[in-house]
Amino acid sequence: MFNKILIANRGEIALRIIRTCKELGIKTVAVYSEADKDSLHVTFADEAVCIGPPQSKESYLKIPSIISAAHITGSDAIHPGYGFLAENANFSEICAESNIKFIGPSPGMIRAMGDKSFAKETMKKNGVPVIPGSDGIVNDVEEGKRISEEIGFPVIIKASAGGGGKGMRMAWSMNEFENAFQTARVEAEAGFGNADVYIEKFIENPRHVEIQVLGDMHGNAYYYGERDCSVQRRHQKLIEESPSPVLDEKLREKMGEAAILGVKAVNYEGAGTVEFLVDKHKNFYFMEMNTRIQVEHPVTEWVYGVDLVRQQVLVAAGEYVETLPSSPNGHSIEFRINAEDPEFNFRPSPGKILSLHCPGGFGVRVDTHIYDSYSIPPYYDSLVAKLIVWGQNRNHALARGRRALEEFVIEGIKTTIPFHLKVLEDRRFLSGNFDTGFLDTFEFK
Amino acid sequence: MDLNLIKKIVRIVDTSEITDLEVEENGLRIKVAKKIRSYRQDGQQHVIIGQHTVPEQPAVRNVVEEISAAAIDTQANLHEIKSPIVGTFYRAPAPDADAYVNMGDTVSTGSVLCIIEAMKLMNEIESDVSGKIVKILVENGRPVEYNQPLFLIQSS
Repeated sequence: MFNKILIANRGEIALRIIRTCKELGIKTVAVYSEADKDSLHVTFADEAVCIGPPQSKESYLKIPSIISAAHITGSDAIHPGYGFLAENANFSEICAESNIKFIGPSPGMIRAMGDKSFAKETMKKNGVPVIPGSDGIVNDVEEGKRISEEIGFPVIIKASAGGGGKGMRMAWSMNEFENAFQTARVEAEAGFGNADVYIEKFIENPRHVEIQVLGDMHGNAYYYGERDCSVQRRHQKLIEESPSPVLDEKLREKMGEAAILGVKAVNYEGAGTVEFLVDKHKNFYFMEMNTRIQVEHPVTEWVYGVDLVRQQVLVAAGEYVETLPSSPNGHSIEFRINAEDPEFNFRPSPGKILSLHCPGGFGVRVDTHIYDSYSIPPYYDSLVAKLIVWGQNRNHALARGRRALEEFVIEGIKTTIPFHLKVLEDRRFLSGNFDTGFLDTFEFK
Repeated sequence: MDLNLIKKIVRIVDTSEITDLEVEENGLRIKVAKKIRSYRQDGQQHVIIGQHTVPEQPAVRNVVEEISAAAIDTQANLHEIKSPIVGTFYRAPAPDADAYVNMGDTVSTGSVLCIIEAMKLMNEIESDVSGKIVKILVENGRPVEYNQPLFLIQSS
């Protein structure tokens, strides 16, 4: 087992990882930028090293600083959290070369799944249903037009090296195709330094359903049910839940086994998430795989009784997965609380927390790094807290979620708490009958 | 350094509603500030500033010592050399070689003061001022973090 783990991250996830390390008796090292000097993860870690100025590029993304911090503290492993360097194959490689265990997959696995079109090919070869589309990169407009004709409009043109909604263009008909194709390539080049694009059939009003997977070093791979993350704004998830209102036992098994097929094909190690789109006929299509722990992991933890960060550390140390999957127990919902003002188009609202009260009680969990009189730095993402509730069924969870959100007091900054309360009044959301287009037509007044 | 003056200033701040007081005289600048905490009760915002009573003598002495120490640093022409990277601090280019600089040495802008080793690379750290080495703040072979003070140079 590891002696000391360095957490190459900040905010709530850094705290999350430190908590599990403490429970495992592993010493912890926090790294921080000058803007995070007063951050909770710095306070709770056993040691802390300042690695740079506020800008992420000069601190949390600066590989030499992080490796150096691991060396001077004698850390034998690094947990990258999510975001930052979590899916950076180079970082995984440099850790290995520096004799530090990267808690996550190998560089090869990250590269394989990070290349979106290659990932799709791999899944397809292993019998996993994929969204109809081009066979890899599309090199010119004529080829693109031919493929679009075959799979049928509407189509979406996506950057192969991309993500987060960038380098994507829709074409509803042949007339729109050429322009969309060229624009997507230009944006991809600008955003990721790689103009390669591929084409997919655009699935209208799909639900985003992802499968949590876990692989150990002994060739075992498991899935812990699904999460429905269809409530998204500009491709950013805001509310996630498990189980998905549209999956039954049979569909869950089909999707889970499909996910495992893909995971085993690359001998995957560590925690990962296989994302699918589910259309209104309950057909599911592989979209992409994320080779890291995800923000919304707590809903799975509750419903399956598993500490996913603990499992990550165990499998990285060569151990077997400790908590095997079972049937889902109850229903869990996560509400992402961001420092944003929903009344003004969700504009960021950094500042000082003047008053804080976190909700409590049975079935309520708050993962946060904020505290009374903490100043939220403007340099990083706006997630300030995750409120996760559990109930015996979806209705219980919804009622508990409403109660907990009403109890949650964060003063001094604007947050998305009022937004979540509004969503909890929406009949479509309450019925479980919604898709990724939900927020496009949702009015926050 | 007039400790009595400093004690007087601390007492003035502590026994009044002043929260911050800064005094400058003859190149010596002293700032005394009260800690402010706030809480909510009965729907009202309350604020506690410092404490209501004058602190015991030992506390005042601690504060005075802290201010004296800070005062040295704010003296004009004392320049801090800080580490630009995370790594291990070495006084000399090799284990058996002479240290780059010692206390009292005069250095010029660009003089190499030390090495910080990071990921097996030796980074030479240069002075950005000319002057005299007044204090060496880190022991040889100790780890340093970003912006950690390494040397105090009295710039000429």
